[in-house]
Amino acid sequence: MYFSKALFKQSMKANWVKWLCVTVATCVMLAIVIIVLGSLAINDIRDSLKDVFEQADQEGYLNENSVDSYEAYTLSVDFANQLDDPMLSMFAGTAYNMAVSGYQEKIDAYTEANGQAPTGEALETIKEEAATEFITENESILAMLNMTDEEISQFLYIVYMTHDNNPTLDTTNNETVITELKESFVEYAGLTAYNLYISQGETEEVANGYRLQAVELANTAINSYEQKSQEEGFVYDEEVFKEEANEYVINMIYTQTYNQFITSETPTEEEISNAEQYAVAAKVLANTAISTYELWIDELTGSEMTDAEIKAYAKEQASASITDQIPEKVAEALEELGNMDIYGLIIGSIFYRIAGILLPMVFVIMVANGLLAGQVDSGSMAYVLSTPTKRRTVACTQMAYLMLSLLAMFLLVTVTSVISIWVVGGNNFAINFAEICLFNLGAFLTMFAFAGYCFMCSAIFNRSKYSMSIGGGLSIFMLVCTILGLFGSNVVPSAMRIDAMNVFNYFSIISLFDTVSILNGTISFAWKFAILAGIAIVTFIIGVFRFEKKDLPL
Amino acid sequence: MEEVIKAEHLTKDYGGGRGIFDISFFITKGEVFGFVGTNGSGKTTTIRHIMGFIKPKNGTVTVLGMDAWKDACKIKESVAYIPGEIAFPDLTTGIEFLKAQAELLGLKSMDRAEELIKRLQLDPSANLKRMSKGMKQKTAIVAALMADKDILILDEPTTGLDPLMRETFLELILEEKRKGKTILMSSQMFDELEETCDRVALIYDGKIIDIADVNALKSSTIKSYKIEFLDKEDYLKFKKLKYKIIRDQEKYYQVTVQIDDSEINRLFKSLSKYKLKFISEIKFNLEKHFKDILEKEVKGGKNVF
Repeated sequence: MYFSKALFKQSMKANWVKWLCVTVATCVMLAIVIIVLGSLAINDIRDSLKDVFEQADQEGYLNENSVDSYEAYTLSVDFANQLDDPMLSMFAGTAYNMAVSGYQEKIDAYTEANGQAPTGEALETIKEEAATEFITENESILAMLNMTDEEISQFLYIVYMTHDNNPTLDTTNNETVITELKESFVEYAGLTAYNLYISQGETEEVANGYRLQAVELANTAINSYEQKSQEEGFVYDEEVFKEEANEYVINMIYTQTYNQFITSETPTEEEISNAEQYAVAAKVLANTAISTYELWIDELTGSEMTDAEIKAYAKEQASASITDQIPEKVAEALEELGNMDIYGLIIGSIFYRIAGILLPMVFVIMVANGLLAGQVDSGSMAYVLSTPTKRRTVACTQMAYLMLSLLAMFLLVTVTSVISIWVVGGNNFAINFAEICLFNLGAFLTMFAFAGYCFMCSAIFNRSKYSMSIGGGLSIFMLVCTILGLFGSNVVPSAMRIDAMNVFNYFSIISLFDTVSILNGTISFAWKFAILAGIAIVTFIIGVFRFEKKDLPL
Repeated sequence: MEEVIKAEHLTKDYGGGRGIFDISFFITKGEVFGFVGTNGSGKTTTIRHIMGFIKPKNGTVTVLGMDAWKDACKIKESVAYIPGEIAFPDLTTGIEFLKAQAELLGLKSMDRAEELIKRLQLDPSANLKRMSKGMKQKTAIVAALMADKDILILDEPTTGLDPLMRETFLELILEEKRKGKTILMSSQMFDELEETCDRVALIYDGKIIDIADVNALKSSTIKSYKIEFLDKEDYLKFKKLKYKIIRDQEKYYQVTVQIDDSEINRLFKSLSKYKLKFISEIKFNLEKHFKDILEKEVKGGKNVF
């Protein structure tokens, strides 16, 4: 065995004060970082930012829903008003037959060609073609109706739907035709809402909810129109119905929000007042969204945009939330800040890779130098080597001291970190026990590699100044590179990041201590750990063999 | 005679004329061998080779028949060493250092160490860093002598000791010599080497210029006397007598004569006839011996000591 107990004891006596100071200081620093910062809840800012973004999303939904509902209501009234046209009520049956005949012909042709009746996509295509053909063929008659092409195709679609539902409709009775058309319109409104939400990526369940809502809105709107039109001296006024639509929608939003917050069957008073508060707020938001929508429509009417474009633009503006109103880059930066893991950054990237290894690094540089080069330079190594102690024994014993002192130091740091994590909430804390243990292992392996390198320099050089400047100098250089590189690494939010500074990370072996990989749960940190251990082992071995072979000025 | 230490054609060239060149010598069992030379002449480099700290470029050094480089560890079982540079390991007190050293040496008893401490009047509880040069040297002496090794290698062991302590130390060395130990000692002081050594090697510019037998020098019967006369007349008359005059200074009426001890009575009889200012013996010692050799060897006869 190349080990001298006496020499080991001598190294312990020479270095225990340094070891104790560094270990205690590092442990205290770590405990402060974890416990004090942990209980100060530094994630509050982050959480509130996150809340802002979540609330903004909800607000956006609410606004959109309000505008959609308002639109559905006014469209329904408009449709009911169109059907109420005296000319149409006289010729409803004839007009219906005219519209349907072209459509039915196309269906028959398709059935003959394919051997089966058209469904799904094919049926939709046929409806579109039939509508286009109808509009071109009857241009002169349709011009009298005072309707846009879009409105006519929508109307035709409803007619076709009615025909699909009831092919043997009694077209001699105008009343029946109009009632059937109204029913189809309601169905159509529901279908439109369903398709819209499905196209936005919502689940079928949610989309069905909106379908029911649209059906109810359309029914209410049409009923309301019919009731009003029965009254004596009724004159259609768009504004009155818009007012009504607004009123109906904001009350609907109020009720929806209120029900959302009442979860139990027997709500407490506090729950009720809470729900009322939120419901009022939602009502105000809905009202604002609808007003915004109307204002934009008024503003843009008469511009070069088509009606559909105006509606889409007005809806977009009305459903915008707070975050949609700030510049995109700022919003992105804020959102990233909200998602940033501050504990991971401070404990992983700043403490374990920089602040926490600074003192152990100073310890390693000083002790590694003092174990060989320092003693050769001063000449005190002569006393050890004038006893029957092999040079290899001296080198191995000093190496063992360096390794074991470092191991003991990091065991204590690990114990401190585990206790601190336990104090601030154990596995519920932002960093769990497994992660903190891997951080400690990584910091140990990093220091192990530096220790090997400094030991090698100490074994190669006979002068302290060379061993210190080449061994210690490069180690400190790497630590400084890691500090500079931090500003270019992606743990820092992009608002503070200078990407060019990432080059510094390529000059430091501390980059092999991958705290991000540990926190993300990937395993790429493992092979980097293996490289660090490899560097340590190779440099230690070179050191031992070099010390054995060289001339000593003793 | 058993050769305990033997160097053959030992060479280590550090470039620029520094280093040691073709050094050969041997030390027999029980002999005290001295190295003398100026700073940087190569004494310490030679000693480092013997201790196995440096690998020779050419030639070999053997200690007890073993190669000093390859068997360095084995050799240390019989060798004690006082380094030329006084620097201790990073320990607190003298006693702590001595105990650590004893442990490394595998020494069980500290009796000999305590005896040495008393003889040298050392306070071993003193802080190592605050010790004076002399105190440090005493500590180093105790550390080397306490293990009672057969071979002692001492690199300028008396540096920093006061004259009284130097005497005590030289006594210690003579005691060790009487015990039959083989001692190699380097120094810049001729008198202490003369007092203790059997043979002394003069090293100059990395080469051994001469190895002098101290005992032969001491037993030499040829002596020199410096005589100054009161007046010129007596001075001139004396010069006519057939004594061997090795130095003549007319200005002071001064002559230096060299005679054998057997002629001493004749000289005094002759001198009784003249008026003298003074007469003094110029000792023929190691210093003079080496000076004479160097004056012959080195061109220009620079005063090297």
